[in-house]
Amino acid sequence: MKLAIKELLYSKGRFIMIGLIIVLISWLVFILSGLGTGLSKLSTGVLSETEYAGMVLEEGAEFSLSKSSVNRSLAEEISEQDGVTDTAPINLFRNSMRREGTADSDAKITDIVLIGVEPDSFMHPEIVEGDDWESSEDNQMIADASLKNEGYALGDTIVLDDIDKEFTITGFTEDQTLYHQSSLFLPMDDFQDLRPSQGDAEDEAETVSGIIVQGNDVDLDTFLEGETDVEFGTKEETINAIPGYVAENATIMMMLWFLMIISAFILGVFFYVLTNQKTNQFGVLKAIGGSNGFIIRSVISQVFILSLVSVLVGIGLTYLTVIFLPEAMPFHLEVSMVVIYSLVLLAISVLSSLFSVVKITRIDPLTALGRGE
Amino acid sequence: MSGIELKNVTKRYKENKFEITALEDVSVRVKAGEFVAIVGPSGSGKSTFLSIAGALLKPTEGKILINKQDITDFDEKQLSSVRLNQIGFILQTANLIPYLTVLDQLLIVKKMQGSVSKEDKAFARQLLKDLGMENKENKYPNECSGGERQRVAIARSFMNDPDIILADEPTSSLDTERGHEVVQQMAEQVKTRNKAAIMVTHDERMLDYCDRIYRIVDGKLSEDVRTQKETN
Ligand SMILES: Nc1ncnc2c1ncn2[C@@H]1O[C@H](COP(=O)(O)OP(=O)(O)OP(=O)(O)O)[C@@H](O)[C@H]1O
Ligand SMILES: [Mg+2]
Repeated sequence: MKLAIKELLYSKGRFIMIGLIIVLISWLVFILSGLGTGLSKLSTGVLSETEYAGMVLEEGAEFSLSKSSVNRSLAEEISEQDGVTDTAPINLFRNSMRREGTADSDAKITDIVLIGVEPDSFMHPEIVEGDDWESSEDNQMIADASLKNEGYALGDTIVLDDIDKEFTITGFTEDQTLYHQSSLFLPMDDFQDLRPSQGDAEDEAETVSGIIVQGNDVDLDTFLEGETDVEFGTKEETINAIPGYVAENATIMMMLWFLMIISAFILGVFFYVLTNQKTNQFGVLKAIGGSNGFIIRSVISQVFILSLVSVLVGIGLTYLTVIFLPEAMPFHLEVSMVVIYSLVLLAISVLSSLFSVVKITRIDPLTALGRGE
Repeated sequence: MSGIELKNVTKRYKENKFEITALEDVSVRVKAGEFVAIVGPSGSGKSTFLSIAGALLKPTEGKILINKQDITDFDEKQLSSVRLNQIGFILQTANLIPYLTVLDQLLIVKKMQGSVSKEDKAFARQLLKDLGMENKENKYPNECSGGERQRVAIARSFMNDPDIILADEPTSSLDTERGHEVVQQMAEQVKTRNKAAIMVTHDERMLDYCDRIYRIVDGKLSEDVRTQKETN
């Protein structure tokens, strides 16, 4: 170990170069990972941040909330099924909002997702700022905090497109985004009154997008047999059905893993060249009795120390970058991801030095006598 | 008897269809406290001889005994351990590790054996002092002169307290004066520390320091007439 550090310090220039490559790679990996998590949160937040087993949706809706409508009275029966601990109806549609009184100006219009949930259900958003809906008052909304970046604040009065009502933002919640848009939460009863009625008003008041089911080992088989037009999708299925999510996620993951594979090759070549340059030196060590194990341990611990320091610098740079990222940027660095990718990067650099290990075992100590140079 | 003995050693190199006999039926015995020189023209088999004696190369025929132990059939791992514990090699120049200081060059031998103790450090300092290097402990090889480097190599070969010292042209990169100095110091160390030493050289002037001289021509070894009577 000491030998490894002595060489690192002596040949600083050469090792700083390799270290710099590892720093840049790890930096890019962490940024990409943060961006990936941020984007998928933006795309799925309302669902992925909620603990649930699955959802009852309209048959043929391909597990997509926005395409589905079911009767909310089903919730009661679902609650009685095996493994179900709780249910919560959810209703949503996309709309846009603007500040009150700016209809004629060219003030900004923001696309949002309107979500109706039962105030006492587990889908009720957690308030991080401001207050909950007052049951005595109408037209109150809880908004996702990302709307603050658009200039909205507590107490703002807003109007929605095509809806002849004014609403007040009473509270903010966090990480509640869907379809890359911020959500606005309303109590279910208010929500059901929003859309102009077309046809059977009573029926409409009972129609929601889906019913979210909580529980372990949920078994809805008997229930589904008795019902037509509905089906059950697991949490994973319903999240994967969010438009664009799978493609987006897969693209970023592909970039990440390609980056890692490329870095494995680059580092492998670097370490190999380095080992090649030191053939004579290793020959000398072998000639004076150094075992393969001793030399390999020293080389690997060197690679490990170098990568560890570089990855740590990469982590530092990443967190520094985060400070300078614009608020609105979908970036979310999860500590668990940083740890996992750090370990993967460390493993990659150590593995990529294994080419060199093979080379080392083949070095003939005779090279120390001046032959083979 | 501690020391090294080569018994009827023959080494043939196969190159394509040709066979080169680099050593032919060579037998030598060097006891503790003896300093033996091997001289011969280029290509006569000196390095081959030293490589075999130093457990770096296996003979085609014959036996090598180090401290009475037959190492002929040892595997690579055992040979490595023999080199580490019983042999001190003085290689040609540029065979120091570039990123280690003079003191660390010696301590690495101990490190390869396991760990470095306080006594080891004291021993290394003593060796360097004996060779007139006491003020150069913290220098790197590129800050040392050729003669100083060679003396570090000598000190290193004594570091594992081996029974056998082997030197391959230790003076080849030195001027005459430095060469004499280095070989004289080597001879002193061999005597005071009671080692069996073999030095390969083509520098006839260095032979005065040696107890016996062997000449090697076309792979055949014979003892020099000057020293023949004293032994045997
Ligand atoms: N690895 C090898 N493969 C084939 N032939 C070899 C090999 N090593 C040495 N030889 C041959 O064996 C003979 C003896 O070589 P050796 O290196 O022992 O000579 P030397 O006395 O050390 O010469 P020099 O004084 O030039 O160093 C030479 O003819 C050489 O060409
Ligand atoms: Mg030679």
